[in-house]
Amino acid sequence: MNMRAGIQELSISALAVESAAGRIVSDISFTISRGRPLTLLGESGSGKSLVAQAIMGNLPAELLATGKVLLDGTDLLAGSPAERRARWGRSISLLPQEPWLALDPTMRIASQVSEVHRFLKDRDARRSRQLAGDNLAEVGLERAGELYPFQMSGGMAQRAAIAITHAADVDLMIADEPTKGLDAALRDSVVARLRQEVDRGRLLLTITHDVAVARALGGTVGVMLDGRLVECGPAERLLAAPEHDYSRALIAADPQGWEGRAPTTSGEIVLAGRGLAKAYGERLLFADLDVEIRAGAIVAIVGPSGCGKTTVGNILLGLARPDSGTVERRKDLSPLRYQKLYQDPPAAFAPHQPIRKGLVDLVRLHGRTWIEVERLLARLRLQGNLLDRLPNQISGGELQRFAILRALLLDPVFLFADEATSRLDPLSQKEVIDFLLEIVRETGLAVLLVTHDRHLAERISSRIVDLGGAAPLGYGE
Amino acid sequence: MSTIDNVSPARGRARLSGSCASGAALLFLLAAFALLGPVLIPADPAAQDFSASLAPIGGDYALGADHYGRSLLARLAHGARLSFGLAFLTMLAAAVPGVLLGLAAAWRGGWTERLLELLATVVLALPGLMLVLLLLAFSPGNYGPLFLGLSLTLWVEFYRVTRAATKTVLAQPHIEAARMLGFGSGYILRNCVLPVIAPTIATLAAFAMATAIIAVSTLSAISVGLQPPTPELGSMIVELLPYYAEAPVHVLLPAMLIFLLVLGLQLVAEGDRA
Repeated sequence: MNMRAGIQELSISALAVESAAGRIVSDISFTISRGRPLTLLGESGSGKSLVAQAIMGNLPAELLATGKVLLDGTDLLAGSPAERRARWGRSISLLPQEPWLALDPTMRIASQVSEVHRFLKDRDARRSRQLAGDNLAEVGLERAGELYPFQMSGGMAQRAAIAITHAADVDLMIADEPTKGLDAALRDSVVARLRQEVDRGRLLLTITHDVAVARALGGTVGVMLDGRLVECGPAERLLAAPEHDYSRALIAADPQGWEGRAPTTSGEIVLAGRGLAKAYGERLLFADLDVEIRAGAIVAIVGPSGCGKTTVGNILLGLARPDSGTVERRKDLSPLRYQKLYQDPPAAFAPHQPIRKGLVDLVRLHGRTWIEVERLLARLRLQGNLLDRLPNQISGGELQRFAILRALLLDPVFLFADEATSRLDPLSQKEVIDFLLEIVRETGLAVLLVTHDRHLAERISSRIVDLGGAAPLGYGE
Repeated sequence: MSTIDNVSPARGRARLSGSCASGAALLFLLAAFALLGPVLIPADPAAQDFSASLAPIGGDYALGADHYGRSLLARLAHGARLSFGLAFLTMLAAAVPGVLLGLAAAWRGGWTERLLELLATVVLALPGLMLVLLLLAFSPGNYGPLFLGLSLTLWVEFYRVTRAATKTVLAQPHIEAARMLGFGSGYILRNCVLPVIAPTIATLAAFAMATAIIAVSTLSAISVGLQPPTPELGSMIVELLPYYAEAPVHVLLPAMLIFLLVLGLQLVAEGDRA
């Protein structure tokens, strides 16, 4: 890979971000040089995105960045907003989170790339189209130029975003959670692509809560907690032997490092699907699928996104109908004892209703007592003051534990966990999984776990159903 | 980042609630004038005094008198009560069935929704004022057909918006979660759907009232609405128009009242949308 001429180093010293209420991020210092990308790890709310925004120069107006951000000697913080904006797309670019939302949905992808050449670099229309074709070929999308963003998979959209940064030919790339919402195979292909950018001589700053991404990118890793950089060092050392307690906990929370903890005992069948088949339009998701879930067991369904994992769970719960096949559940149990945990915890709670109101209504509806709620609150280590907040004011991990609490109030025999931890940071994920395992062991709850994380499935489930067969368009290229 | 989220909307809300508060204050003053005015002002809005024809503002008559020498203050107060009251009733008569049908369509789907959609499309295809004129032809100068005709054209908006907004809410996972937890449709309607669609409906109601006021005044202005001597803001403008050269402010007074009410409604609606 030929190295580009260009900027050599981004060095940040004593960067702080302040709001009217006080410092949110303080004392951040690190250096990114060619061939040594930097990855910031940390949970949501730790301030990692603010660091990226401070470097980009697009912090919200209420926030003020101080310190030094030197891009080969030029202080990025010193310039006026107009000067900062002039660098966007020319020397610095941001790979957005969930790029399928950031691309223009009404424009074909080739035009979106070529408009960078046309309007940012002032080239003529023909030349721009030609160069855009080259940029798309560089990321393996030479045949996708005529597609609209909604026709592309998550991985393709992420590569299209990378092609746009190629067109801009920037020196510094900032990738904000580039693998959010992607399954393991797509994640690996995006990370490999980012790694190539580093080899080409671009400076790369990645923000993620996925330890596996940090491991694959190499270079330097920084761990952030409450607006501070608690540890920063070479990836090989930091990921193998973290020094700070928080980094140690964060890295240990990666399912890859867990020991096997699958429940071993199991009771009678709680729920079973026989000969299930489902197709969406032309595409067959699965056929002749048999699933049996026994009390006290955890069954995992794995497979790439779009393969119909969630549909299996919904069919078993009676929320969707199979094209053929039957679902058997125990006749003597109320349907209320079959419950579900959702992928996106905030979406599973009424957005304008304080948590307490939902729980009080639930307790009243089913004739339970508030004492049971309090017992479960203590059990799930949830603070009482969270009860009076709205769902979007508490973290995903806490909210998912409230969802578990809500389900446990109904004394469930079966719980369908639909990617219940995939949007949580590793520590919250571990906490939620730990609670689930405890409950399974104590109450004989049967769990159907849908996940794209094979490591997680292997560590905690008694049986794995692999739906890897039907892969969606553009998957794993 | 929670911090950012907390900072910007708070500032936005403060600014918007300012417009909402001024709108509400304006509406309150107008409502007081329309409700208390007819009671407190002793003058009869229909009593004529030709010696005071086109009396100037600030003389014997506080806001002057029209060409028949009728007190403009009294006529404005009675006119405001009539126009505003009619607009309010029209809005209610459109909003209640519109919202209920919208909820029914979103909730039941299938045939219910298809039939209601067809009905709404048919009504939309009829020109609104035409429908009002048609009904007015049966009994000219009456409140009934005027009110009925306007509600018949206005309910479609409420229906369409309610249906679309409710469908979006019902498709969200938290509704499925609530059902799985055993909550019934009534609970979901009260706690999950209504709080979400209420602000939109309130905005729509403000717009519908503004439309109704302007429609009533317009119809009176082309002399097919309410008949003289009923003090109605639109017909007052028409009656005074020939005397524009002698008494320009007299013509502007009823127009001003309509303008202020619509402004107040729009300001409140703007605040609601935030």
